[in-house]
Amino acid sequence: MMNPQEQLLVALQDLDLMLKEHTDSKDQFKKMGFDVSNLEELQKARALLVSKLEPAHVQHYESMQKRHGRAVFPVTSDMCLGCFAAVPSVYRSALYQDRVRMCQHCGRILYFP
Amino acid sequence: MTGAELLQLFDPKLCVFDLKATTKDEALREIVDRVAAPDSRNHKFILEMLHNREHLGSTGVVKGVAFPHGRSLAVSKLMVVFARSAAGVRFESMDGEPTHLFFVLLAPPQDRANQYLPALGKLVETIQDDRLRDRLMAAAAFEEFAAVIRDN
Repeated sequence: MMNPQEQLLVALQDLDLMLKEHTDSKDQFKKMGFDVSNLEELQKARALLVSKLEPAHVQHYESMQKRHGRAVFPVTSDMCLGCFAAVPSVYRSALYQDRVRMCQHCGRILYFP
Repeated sequence: MTGAELLQLFDPKLCVFDLKATTKDEALREIVDRVAAPDSRNHKFILEMLHNREHLGSTGVVKGVAFPHGRSLAVSKLMVVFARSAAGVRFESMDGEPTHLFFVLLAPPQDRANQYLPALGKLVETIQDDRLRDRLMAAAAFEEFAAVIRDN
């Protein structure tokens, strides 16, 4: 199980990656022949996601995004891939299923694939 | 990027030579079913990301080919999934024609080797060749498909 708020934060991070990439490299995608004209549709999808998140989570997400460039990082081998600090194994337990899990070292939001 | 390097991004087990889908939603779901267990979180995130990319503009280009693509936290390494539909899929392609060949490019956010855009560019460039597309439509198994990609 995964906290619904955590799921929304992962979806938001994926969406922000797409928005950034298709803004930064728009010409490259167009040159390849892709239609990337509806950026406003993604902005709408983003606004919808944000509206479903608790304000404190949005605030933390934006702050991490600003500080690190990306707010959500996956956990591999019980390690935060953002700062490579160890992640407590208890994070995988049922005790934490209803919480948004964050790296204790860097504060990034964690995704457990 | 060479054809041989591009080929390394394909996993034979993930290729679909007989896509059953007839619509865009069905096609994306059937392909993602190969990449992640249906009903899993990763499946949900990858599918959602691909749908969002389609909202930006259809990745169904012309000549019966589509290149759905994007990055997701649910993807751990750069990969390309090939899928083929003999009957064709209604994929809202730019020329309005059915789509037969799918190259789904999935990348993690942390693509340090930065292969994602070069791989997408190489795929788009490779598939321009009419004879190559005919060979991909006729390939009976992964070995034949691999030979076509490797030699280009």
